[in-house]
Amino acid sequence: MGNKVTLDAHGEALMQQYRELKPTLEQLAKDAFALLSDALKEQGIYVTAMEYRVKKEHSLEGKIELKGAKYKSIDDITDLVGLRVITFYTDEVDKVAAIAQRIFDIDWQESVDKRRLHELDAFGYNSLHYICRMKEGGPRFELQMRTALQHVWSTIEHDTGYKGDVKIPREYLRQFSRLAGMLELIDNEFSRLRLVLTDYQRQIQALVKNGQLKDVPLSPDSFRNYLDLHPFDRLNKRIAAVNQAEIYPVSMMPYLPVLESFGIETLEDVQHFIDENSEDAFQLAVSQLAVTNLDILSSAKALEYLCLVYVLNHDGGRKGLKFIYDTINGESDTNNILADMILEQARTLSFMNNN
Amino acid sequence: MKTTIQELDGNMVAFLEGSLDTSVVPETEKAMSPLYDCDKDIIIDCTDMNYISSGGLRIFLGILKKAQGKGKHVYIKGISDDVRAVFAMTGFTHLFEFK
Repeated sequence: MGNKVTLDAHGEALMQQYRELKPTLEQLAKDAFALLSDALKEQGIYVTAMEYRVKKEHSLEGKIELKGAKYKSIDDITDLVGLRVITFYTDEVDKVAAIAQRIFDIDWQESVDKRRLHELDAFGYNSLHYICRMKEGGPRFELQMRTALQHVWSTIEHDTGYKGDVKIPREYLRQFSRLAGMLELIDNEFSRLRLVLTDYQRQIQALVKNGQLKDVPLSPDSFRNYLDLHPFDRLNKRIAAVNQAEIYPVSMMPYLPVLESFGIETLEDVQHFIDENSEDAFQLAVSQLAVTNLDILSSAKALEYLCLVYVLNHDGGRKGLKFIYDTINGESDTNNILADMILEQARTLSFMNNN
Repeated sequence: MKTTIQELDGNMVAFLEGSLDTSVVPETEKAMSPLYDCDKDIIIDCTDMNYISSGGLRIFLGILKKAQGKGKHVYIKGISDDVRAVFAMTGFTHLFEFK
């Protein structure tokens, strides 16, 4: 429980104005939050967290008790409504700020970029604060924008209450300062790393596009780009032709762990894997499908047959076949039935008898 | 082929009985149409279904596509080994959740 607050007549008048304004403030908080959320979503900016609040009565009383004389009316208090956006990266703080400038009117006199206030040896690691107003008018509100690490800093700073009455020894202030510097460094390193990774992804995309598969390690990103080249289309179409089947598009990404389990390391290895196993895969497909009238097949079917014959050709047996089905379908005893079905169908095929 | 749709424990459940061959696909699709627009998880109970054709699979895939668009699940229950083999041969096993 907080201490009892004593307000003078001016303070009481401010509190009365606040109570009258509160329904408006609550609506404003919701509207501003929704507007900003939609704008961030529209620009493809994903943030760690977004929150809003209307200042609580006891919190405002405390503020007015301390600095009430500074405010002529309740309109002079700019943080009655607060929005906070916590981003992953430092550069995203500026992107959020740019969006806020577009959708809100910013009171530049009152807005503070605390990130730029620090001297070279400054203490603290703070955020960007804008005082905003909806374009259509109404009370002002505060928008805080910070990274996750800046948020950690601010939260801990608040918790330790170092700005209180007790003078903190220089030694401890220096420890705080060191930590602030470290957090800033980590934030910058995360941003730098993201740039490096984005650049790497672009390079991989370009290599795949140019068919330079040898230099491209197999990974979720590279495999996804590789699938854009439709490497399994030819075999899929041959298999579908057996029953004049429709090819129904599904994701082939679940097969990535299977390919990795075969020791495939680059996209060139995947290409070799396709080239070396396509004929056997087609044989297996014909033996399975020709005796049915199934005229719809998933687009992953070619890749599935390639994986199955790879296992059969490498003496993986029932265990190896079950591993494929366990990986794709999820672990289940019924995958043994599917493995046995493939073993039975493959028994008479020429590639099985040449090994 | 008999199709019964019921709401049970907050799910929409379709009970299929008989053989879902090509000749009964149109009537089964019509009977299962409430599942396309429902906003609940779906259970397709195949305990008494002994065969599924490509047309039957297309119904299941259509229901799945609609449900996934709404963030809902489609569970297939009581499937026989023969019907499971059809799902496996066509490459659709991993799309569904089996109970």
